[in-house]
Amino acid sequence: MEQDPRRHEVARSFRRRYRQELQAYGFLWPALLILGVLMVYPLLQVMRMSFSEVTLQKETWVGLDNYAQLLRTSLFWRVLWQTILFTAGSVSLHLVIGLGLALLLHAKINIRFRNLMRGMLIIPWLLAPTVAGMIWVLMLAPFGVANGLLISLGVLDLSVTFNWLGNPDTSLLSVTAMNVWRAFPFFMVMLLAGLQAIPDELYEAADIDGTTPLAKFWYITLPGLRGVIATVVLLDSIWTFRAFDPVYVMTGGGPMNSSEVLATAIYFDAFQKFKFGYASAEAMVMFLILFVVSAVYVRRAVRDIG
Amino acid sequence: MRARRRAAHVAIYATLVAATIIMLFPVAWMLTVSVRPNVEVMKIPPDWIPAIFTVEAYSKVLRSSRYLKTFVNTYFVALAVTLVSLGIGAMAAYALARFRFRGQRAVLIFLITTQMFPLVLLCIPYFQVVVTLGLYDTLTSLIIVYVTFTLPFCILMLRSYFAQIPKDMEEAAMVDGCSRVGAILRTLLPLSYPALIGAGLYTFLLAWNEFLFAVVLIEAWDKRVLTTAIYSLLAEFVTDWNTMMAFSVLASAPLVIAFIFLQRYMVRGMTAGAITS
Repeated sequence: MEQDPRRHEVARSFRRRYRQELQAYGFLWPALLILGVLMVYPLLQVMRMSFSEVTLQKETWVGLDNYAQLLRTSLFWRVLWQTILFTAGSVSLHLVIGLGLALLLHAKINIRFRNLMRGMLIIPWLLAPTVAGMIWVLMLAPFGVANGLLISLGVLDLSVTFNWLGNPDTSLLSVTAMNVWRAFPFFMVMLLAGLQAIPDELYEAADIDGTTPLAKFWYITLPGLRGVIATVVLLDSIWTFRAFDPVYVMTGGGPMNSSEVLATAIYFDAFQKFKFGYASAEAMVMFLILFVVSAVYVRRAVRDIG
Repeated sequence: MRARRRAAHVAIYATLVAATIIMLFPVAWMLTVSVRPNVEVMKIPPDWIPAIFTVEAYSKVLRSSRYLKTFVNTYFVALAVTLVSLGIGAMAAYALARFRFRGQRAVLIFLITTQMFPLVLLCIPYFQVVVTLGLYDTLTSLIIVYVTFTLPFCILMLRSYFAQIPKDMEEAAMVDGCSRVGAILRTLLPLSYPALIGAGLYTFLLAWNEFLFAVVLIEAWDKRVLTTAIYSLLAEFVTDWNTMMAFSVLASAPLVIAFIFLQRYMVRGMTAGAITS
């Protein structure tokens, strides 16, 4: 058989023209394949299921029924609101505590002492959310150490042991408190790194001008941290909004749905009530909300990467 | 003036120590409960220091082959996830750091976006696929699923580190007759060990602590991992607090110990994603 010389030529010029692409995708394909199969395909699957009535045996197309039902259900709106409260409470307290501790650690103190304190303060973040949740369940039990402490301080009466997790008024608050405690070290570490990146010269110049500490904080520190704060607040909002473990472990969403968040509601609808279609619609709503917030983050991140 | 500065100095130390004591109180409580007999756990007013010291709870955990199996499972899953993520992640990171190619920006956006996914959304299709493939109740299913959310992080972190290392070294190695892969293995990877340790440790932490997929995809006791095993103690024996806390201490210890030795890399790993430029 005679080879067509032109074909050979075309192949070579193709290889030359796309050399970078061929090499790059030669290294990239395993990662793209895995993420494509395990992220994109399931997403399309959920999208389809959200328009269907799904049982383990069969799927029937029902159009927008699941969404219509969702929007009519007052529990869905309540859960959405509780998720927002949980997220806003966690993120704002993470920021306040994380920034406070980062500023303390950034003060002119002994370096070994600083590393020791930073290391110890990171420990809550290393614990599994499950483990952290269990510790708090133990502490917040009616005869647990939290009530014990409050009684010793005279805040509570011995006769009224308070059931923090069993009371609808305090269940979400308790879960939020645990989540604040577990994840503040992330903010602390990131903001400390951000503080260390602010050039000392700025502060020295301010010292020469006799600027007050408060003014230095307001005009040098905060603007210097703006990028890091925006990043960690966005990331933490996304992570907290989708969080499952704290609520599932501590209260299971109860009592009477008072601490339910979207992630646990989706889980219970899918795996306990077997309403896969309805749960998929809920998941899609959650996805869309996160998508909007993520878009802000992704734009920032891509700009930083350049 | 000097006295005032000294007072401020002391105040900073004192506040830091106080904050650390408050923040570590739950951890300390976990430790003291783990060495108490169970009757001493719920008491008002509480005994701050255990009146009776006992390691009964630890021996209960360590003598149970069922619990020990969950340690083996968790190590296996976390190590496998870490190795796969670092291997495939390093390849992808190399491509993103060293080549300029069409679709690069799209790949980056895709990687960043996948980190924002609500994982609970993936639960439903994963469950169905895993059941269909006959992978329900296997550790393989956990490894595959965990890689999906550790891989993007590994790629992004390694990419930013690789990009800082000059190309010259690899090019010199290639001039000396190394293949591209040989040059990567001999020059780039050894130079990048801090990033590899940092990304590896963070991946290990995520896999070790994961809970949601372990609940959805695993039922059998001999396939459970630490988080689900500890949680089932809460669900099954509500009052066995000292065992639960001893189990929690044993489950957290490997990470805390690893962190003490590798703190530098870990902090680097945490901050790498956000403080770029």
